[in-house]
Amino acid sequence: MLPAPFTPDFLNRLEVLRLRTRKDVLGNRPGAYSSPRRGTSLEFADYRKYSPGDDLRYLDWGIFARTDRLYVRLFHEEVDLFAYIFIDASGSMAFPSLQEKFTPAANLALALSYVVLANHDHVRLHSLNGINPTASPFYRGRQRMADLIDFIAAVSPAGALDPAPCLGRHLKHLRRPGKAILISDFLVPVGAYQQGLNVLRAFNLDISAIQVLSRAEVEPALPDGALAVIDSESREELRLQWNATLRGEYREKLERHNRELKSFCHQSGIDYSLYVTDEDLSGFTLETLPKIGLFR
Amino acid sequence: MEFLNPAALYALALLPLAVVPYLMRRRPRRLIFSSVLLLRELAARATTRRWGRLYLPPVFFLQLLFLLLLLLALGEPIFSVRSLNVALVLDNSASMQAIEGDKSRFQMAQEEAAKILHSLPPRARVDLYLSVPRLLPVTKSPVPSAEAIARLSALKTFDLGEPSMDYGAELERLAREKEYERVYFMTDHPAEGQSATVRVISLGRPKGNLALTAFRVGRRRFAAPQLEARAEVLNFSAREENFKLAIKGSGQVLVSRAYSLGPGMKVEASFENLPVHPYYAAEIAVGDGLALDNHRFAVPPPSGGLKILAVSPRPEALASLRSIPGVELQIISPQAYEKGGFEPHALEIFHYSAPAALPDSHALFVLPPNRNPLVGVGPAASRPPVSGWRDHPVTRYINFALFRPAYARPLKPGGLGEAIIQSPDGALAVVSEQKNFRYLALGFDPFPFLGRQNLPVSILTLNLLEWFHENETANAGATGAALYPPLRAGEILLGPDGAKIGLEKNSASFSRTYFQGIYQAMSGESKRFFAVNLDDRVESDLRWPTAIQLREPSEAVARRFFNQSLWFYLLLFSLALLLLEWFINPGAVRRREVKEPAGQSDDFRWA
Repeated sequence: MLPAPFTPDFLNRLEVLRLRTRKDVLGNRPGAYSSPRRGTSLEFADYRKYSPGDDLRYLDWGIFARTDRLYVRLFHEEVDLFAYIFIDASGSMAFPSLQEKFTPAANLALALSYVVLANHDHVRLHSLNGINPTASPFYRGRQRMADLIDFIAAVSPAGALDPAPCLGRHLKHLRRPGKAILISDFLVPVGAYQQGLNVLRAFNLDISAIQVLSRAEVEPALPDGALAVIDSESREELRLQWNATLRGEYREKLERHNRELKSFCHQSGIDYSLYVTDEDLSGFTLETLPKIGLFR
Repeated sequence: MEFLNPAALYALALLPLAVVPYLMRRRPRRLIFSSVLLLRELAARATTRRWGRLYLPPVFFLQLLFLLLLLLALGEPIFSVRSLNVALVLDNSASMQAIEGDKSRFQMAQEEAAKILHSLPPRARVDLYLSVPRLLPVTKSPVPSAEAIARLSALKTFDLGEPSMDYGAELERLAREKEYERVYFMTDHPAEGQSATVRVISLGRPKGNLALTAFRVGRRRFAAPQLEARAEVLNFSAREENFKLAIKGSGQVLVSRAYSLGPGMKVEASFENLPVHPYYAAEIAVGDGLALDNHRFAVPPPSGGLKILAVSPRPEALASLRSIPGVELQIISPQAYEKGGFEPHALEIFHYSAPAALPDSHALFVLPPNRNPLVGVGPAASRPPVSGWRDHPVTRYINFALFRPAYARPLKPGGLGEAIIQSPDGALAVVSEQKNFRYLALGFDPFPFLGRQNLPVSILTLNLLEWFHENETANAGATGAALYPPLRAGEILLGPDGAKIGLEKNSASFSRTYFQGIYQAMSGESKRFFAVNLDDRVESDLRWPTAIQLREPSEAVARRFFNQSLWFYLLLFSLALLLLEWFINPGAVRRREVKEPAGQSDDFRWA
């Protein structure tokens, strides 16, 4: 059973999309993505001196005529894509409620997965949390959408997340570099998320970062007065007098935090976008994400 | 601005308590947030900021202002023009000598008066008054406040009770007549009600007191040779008091006894066989509220017995009196009496005669003429029977069945007289007491018939002499009353402190006895002593002073422009503040409507 936002129209529009990668990928089947290996695509890659046994069809007779030497034309190989979608399943993703943050984030992950599956590429979902990090098998083909839904339904956000070690555990068994999409609220210290993104970069993945925040985080509607604010992950308690001044200062700090994240992503060649969960999923997926170059 | 109810302003000291609820750090509302990463710095800044720990919202200051205005309204403030014409009345009665801490109430009154005088504008004119013996100005004309301050220190209390008057009405009248803008009355009485003009400044607190309320030295009978002293002590406190009562003669302790006296009780002590001294003092050794009434003075009755001056055209009829022991009789004619020049006597007998006015001494009128100042005289009757009599010291022990005077003229008592022996035709004996003097009028002549032959008449004669003597032994005058017997020509009067008292010319009656003690009248070598005591038990009872009733006279309404009451406006303004607070702080209502998603926060519900 597909979640509510996945209307037939939305699915139809997702099917025409295809993830864009900035890097060559290593697939194991012919596909639509450029591979660093030489293959049989129509896209010219290079020349190589003829060796006995080379297919004579690839000899460049023009060079032979000019230089009297034998060269064969080499072509890029086009392979299928292996996409890794990491979804933050830490405790903060359940704030202020599952329906308001984690579920929209999961739907976004499913929408991106559907794009991959519809293109007969491989997709794998990873849940990131400090308690029970799990990953689905690679799925291929639209018919595996139900498996992805089952997987994501079994994920329950809890615990604290340190992105770098958690991603490291997931990437330990990575064999094929591909597209990595990290969906998180990135409400961790700057150094922590930078380390996490650098881990992904180290594995030669083409990275996209989607920050998911609920409206209650962007514009907290806390009551004025004495508050004891408890961190949803670390249970750390802060005492403060909430008022209009603090509300304004909080907004400024959040904007600065997001700006730093965006700047880091830009410098690191990572696609970045902010998804506030009260936005329409189809609108964000079909309009915002193409603008940042996630789709082609 | 002044306050009609300044006691309410003491509550201002409690205003700082309004911050206590904010200091108590009410349990903050707990809520879970996705990450406190961005809030951490804000919280740190809030706690290090000045007043960071104590968060006082604007509503607090509104509340503070509201309470302040409310308390000020309770103080009943009035806007008053600074007074220029002021009267300061100091209560200088005996109770103002009570000690409060280390100073007397009167000293406190002087200090309060000085404070008021200091606060007056330089152009102000002040009249100083003392309330005892009656409300009289100390200054002949209004004086500047600086001079009034200088005069304050010279004022002192008198050992007098307060005159019976309605202070509230009297002070209002004073303010009205003298056109005072403000009359301050420093007293130990509380005040009830309020007045635009009169301010009562109450000093001192209710306290217990032990008082010597009576002290007499005399003879049990007028012919008895020994002296005896009787003293009465009253306990005006709520606890049992132990004290020692000492009798002194000429300053030396003659006898003393210890007593224990329950609350509200009195003890009467009698000391017999006292040696003769010119004067006596009774003292109770106790540290109580008022020291004045722990002393009392008395002088003994004249040593020569009952001195009688008889005025009679028939001196031989009075000769039988000389046979009574202890009686010193001097007989003069009515003409000689009119000339005067005789010494004062304890008793004056007018036999078939009468003075023009009641004499300033005890007097017996025997068959007075028709023109006499005491009774009306009826027609003569022969051997009238006694039809009735009243229980009176004069009628004691008499068998009236045998009482048949041979000749009588029935009497008609005047307004103050009282018949004690009645015959069918009218009264045979009339008694009257006026100005501490006893008067007895007889419608028959008992003196010719004294002896065994006529015992009832003899007993009557002894009874009446005893009755006159009984009062004669009450030999201590009250403060404020004239000294008796009157001063003689050429006598010098010394006060209790030994200072000479200047007398007005031809003044034989000295009544400015404002201080308790022994007064001495000296003439050459001879001395006469007068004991003067505070004779007002109300002054000794320091427990519940009566309140002074202040009333706003109708005339004062026209003068209200001096005093514009502000309490109503303050109350109105404070209510407006309350409404304002209601509008700007309705949070308590809204918070209850907020809902919480399941499992999210401890006590805060997200909208």
